[in-house]
Amino acid sequence: MADTTTGAEEPKKGQAFLDKFAEVSAKIGNQVHLRSLRDAFATICPLYILAGVAVLINNVVFPLFLSGDALTAAKTWGSSLTQGTLNIAALVLCALIGYCLGKNKRFDNAIGCAVMSISALVIMMPQTVDAVVSTDPDGKQTANVINCLISTNTGTNGLFGGILIGLLATTIFIKISSVKQLRVNLGEGVPPAVSDSFNTLIPMILSLSIFGVVAACLQVFLGTNLIDLIKVWIQTPLMGLNTSLAGVLIIYTLANLLFCLGIHQSTISGVLAEPLLTILITDNMATFAAGGTIPVDHYMNMQIINTFALIGGSGCTLMLLLDTFLFSKSKTSKTVGKLAIAPGIFNINEPVIYGYPIVFNLPLMVPFVLLPDLFIAATYGLTCAGLIAPCVVMVPWTTPVFISGFLATAGDFRAVIWQVLEVAIGMAVYLPFMKVSEKVAAKEATFDEKSEDAPAIDAA
Amino acid sequence: MVHLKKILLACNAGMSTSLLVQKMQAEVKAQGLDVEVAAYPLNQALDHIEGADILMLGPQIKYAKDDAVAAAGDVPVTVIDMADYGRMNAKKVLADAMAIIG
Repeated sequence: MADTTTGAEEPKKGQAFLDKFAEVSAKIGNQVHLRSLRDAFATICPLYILAGVAVLINNVVFPLFLSGDALTAAKTWGSSLTQGTLNIAALVLCALIGYCLGKNKRFDNAIGCAVMSISALVIMMPQTVDAVVSTDPDGKQTANVINCLISTNTGTNGLFGGILIGLLATTIFIKISSVKQLRVNLGEGVPPAVSDSFNTLIPMILSLSIFGVVAACLQVFLGTNLIDLIKVWIQTPLMGLNTSLAGVLIIYTLANLLFCLGIHQSTISGVLAEPLLTILITDNMATFAAGGTIPVDHYMNMQIINTFALIGGSGCTLMLLLDTFLFSKSKTSKTVGKLAIAPGIFNINEPVIYGYPIVFNLPLMVPFVLLPDLFIAATYGLTCAGLIAPCVVMVPWTTPVFISGFLATAGDFRAVIWQVLEVAIGMAVYLPFMKVSEKVAAKEATFDEKSEDAPAIDAA
Repeated sequence: MVHLKKILLACNAGMSTSLLVQKMQAEVKAQGLDVEVAAYPLNQALDHIEGADILMLGPQIKYAKDDAVAAAGDVPVTVIDMADYGRMNAKKVLADAMAIIG
């Protein structure tokens, strides 16, 4: 399927299987709802990063030089940022999902989908909520209050409800909008914009009314609401499956294998694991910001992957590059290495994957797939054993190694020591496979030497 | 007046293609061409398709080619060769693009 310059020869049967695997994965990754989910998360990411910065400064930096009332006053800065990011995450994501789905379905009123989605989400929220009315240390007092949205539903805790209701509301809206009988034609002489406004108005009224009926029925007959139902019946079981150690290992094994076939790993991981793992890390940020303890089922989260199992990019290829500089005799590999090291420090490694290459290069595919698994399992184990602090801050995936470990754990030096060990382990694992790969490549035609214009290598 | 040619590149997050774009722009300058090169994540690239002469996908998202073709209208869509992409062979990628858009 792909023209490849590597020497590894796959048996025919294996090749057919890999082709099929790539095709099925591409279908999943291209599925419009899942793709919209991925796009929406990519758009909301800056808010999460900001929340991470606020959490870090509030809980790690301020306490270094402030205490008492001054600390409390300073912390207002971070807590207001938390309020405007994490505590409304479900609302914002819900709107984004509606917008992205509308856009990806090439629907002409994507912004209408966003408006619809937020409205539908809030319609489904309970009309009375239990709110904490006192922070008395002797015990929290709660009261049943009306006219109030609670961050349990609008924030990270309600993300799942936001996602599903956004998808649902938009789908219904688009379906109803496409019904020809509901289109208004006011006849000649009436400006088309007037008719158009009715053509948005009627489907929106109809779809939101449906949500209103469902909300009322759930409330009146069952005394519950859709968001709680989603939490209990969908979120909890799905989280239990896809964010368990085994679930994450399976998903990332498949995802990294897919990258070895030349297709971006996020095609699989971006839809099956990342949204759920991101919910967990944002939840952790909110918990940490509020001074709570991270529950054990939140130890596995997006940061374990991005910080500890993606060093230098998918497959932890930074260690392969270090091996290349220290132990490789191949001029070609070194040239690619020089080109790839600067982006690699920031965990971008397409030059390694396609240039080294890893793609269809059987010897290097093995560590590329297995090393991240090893690191995911080990980091999770170390967290459970209490040897490194759980990840509580979402940092951008482009953050270089060592810095990322320090930030993600809110300043735990042991996490940095673990990352140093990971680099050493990774180099040891990659080395023999690199040697085999070079032997295979030596028998093949050499690459053309057009890489004179490789970027100057940064002091690494 | 000569029409300014516009080459669009797209990949997963627009990160690695932006590296290639940088090198392609240098190449365009060196060859004295009247060409604009830009990189976006795929979903944004389709918003910028108007006025573009070619859309080139990174090999990691070649699965999206059919969708991109459908969305791109008359604009030709190609997938960049894996080896050229990996070694950031801007000269070759630019030559491939110019061969199609003339």
